[in-house]
Amino acid sequence: MNITWLEARDFRSYETLRFEPDEAVNVLVGDNGQGKTSVIEAIGYLGTTKSLRGVADEALIREGTSSAVIRGAFDGRASETVIECEIPMEGRRKILVNGKRPTRMRDVLTTVSMVAFLPDDLDLVKRGSAIRRGYLDDLAARLWPQAAAVQTDYDRALRQRNALLKQEGRATDSLTLDVWDERLARAGAQVLQHRRAVATNLQPHLEEAYLVVGGSGKLRWSYRSTWGSDGVRDNDDLAEAFMAALATRRGKELEIRSTTVGPHRDEPELMLDGRNARSMASQGEQRTTALALRIGSYRLIEEVRDQTPILLLDDVFSELDPSRAARVLDLMPTGQVFVTTAREDEVPIRGRRWSVRDGKVLP
Amino acid sequence: MFEPPIQRLIDELARLPGVGRKSAQRIAFHLLNAEQADAQRLADAISEMRSSVRLCNRCYNVTADQECSICSDLRRDTTVVCVVERAQDIPVLERTQSFRGRYHVLGGAVNPIAGIHEENLRIKELVDRVELEGIKEVIAATNPTLEGDTTAMMISRRLKPLGVTVTRLASGLPVGGDLDYADEVTLGRALTGRQEL
Ligand SMILES: [Zn+2]
Repeated sequence: MNITWLEARDFRSYETLRFEPDEAVNVLVGDNGQGKTSVIEAIGYLGTTKSLRGVADEALIREGTSSAVIRGAFDGRASETVIECEIPMEGRRKILVNGKRPTRMRDVLTTVSMVAFLPDDLDLVKRGSAIRRGYLDDLAARLWPQAAAVQTDYDRALRQRNALLKQEGRATDSLTLDVWDERLARAGAQVLQHRRAVATNLQPHLEEAYLVVGGSGKLRWSYRSTWGSDGVRDNDDLAEAFMAALATRRGKELEIRSTTVGPHRDEPELMLDGRNARSMASQGEQRTTALALRIGSYRLIEEVRDQTPILLLDDVFSELDPSRAARVLDLMPTGQVFVTTAREDEVPIRGRRWSVRDGKVLP
Repeated sequence: MFEPPIQRLIDELARLPGVGRKSAQRIAFHLLNAEQADAQRLADAISEMRSSVRLCNRCYNVTADQECSICSDLRRDTTVVCVVERAQDIPVLERTQSFRGRYHVLGGAVNPIAGIHEENLRIKELVDRVELEGIKEVIAATNPTLEGDTTAMMISRRLKPLGVTVTRLASGLPVGGDLDYADEVTLGRALTGRQEL
């Protein structure tokens, strides 16, 4: 898959942007603050319907203006898809796919195949488990449209249950809470199943990638859940187990007025030959692990969606020695690539050079 | 800010569903420039609707009488009740011509985030009707959203002890949508293919 043209208005530092990238490798060279990351952000927003770096929508709008617009055409195997996003300062954002409002937002996620490497990817390994839950959920949503639907369902059911507990506390009607428990458990069981499916399918790619980028040993996921043990494989049985865990904690939850068990509290960890990569690996091993996670998602998306993803590499080469960088690129050789860098000589890859200066992308 | 009388109208219009600030201004200035009689007709229609329309004593549908035209229709099956969130869902289901029973309007769906709980809906009234009217089947036709689904489950739990069958519209309805947006064929199919909760 590749993006054939990109347009933006009042997006971050750009008043207007028009960019027709090469269908292979595009290297965006520019000093910091000149707007090269904004190009990556614009492409990323179209492909994921949110900021790659978790920036709030309002912060993407150019200062002093009331809305930002991003537009782009994605060329898939069978067809071209034009995606447009209007992000207003106030009110709801508008997303159009081929000029029409999509019936389901999640369809956008599986329309565009894309993987981004970001400068703070090391957080995937070093930080608390929330970021790794997010990694598994985001990847599931890219692979299977249904995964995004159950995630939304679970998040909403969780917010509703917490709102109920917060308002009613110990006075919460037990039958009402039973119903929310059941609804939460049905969605939660599926969220867990999707995470497991990602971890399982990712495993061979993860192992391979870890070795190729210079790691030694075996990298694998360990998914720790206090309610859904590995032995339980059936959706209904998992939902039952979740409900049982909620029942056990009900007294405590009525007291503290919040949901204390479920996929939102599970702890996916990365293990290096049995050592937790978060706490017991060197900085170098952690960096290699983070790279392997991104390469692994690229390979898995390629395999499952049967389409080469667009690859976004935002300022990742400054952290890598040239031989490792070359090996990373060897694993993902065929599709469209966007690379940003402040120093052109750091990028060990041939391809079209673009110069980014004063909010303009010039050949 | 406009002159106070105009601003007041703009503020009121902007509170209507689907009307933004800009549209509210456009409508307000349209009414300002319209013939006095035209503007008056709109004002009359609103106040007449409010004063003449009331809720059906039985099902809480909108009506001009004690009971709505569906409840007072002797040919309807009084043993089946279709539960909807809002009165405007009734004409949508009626157009499918797949349902010959009566309705019950809940007045929404449970939504703790918005502070809407079971006691804010007409669930107690539904339980009373089932006990009094010899109802044998209740179809939960709440919207296919998380909140609508959960409301259907709650109705089922409350009614099961009374020995009544509670069914849910069959899937096939777009999830996350309103009944309003479902087309008649899909809705008709959902009504005939309903499943027990
Ligand atoms: Zn009635």
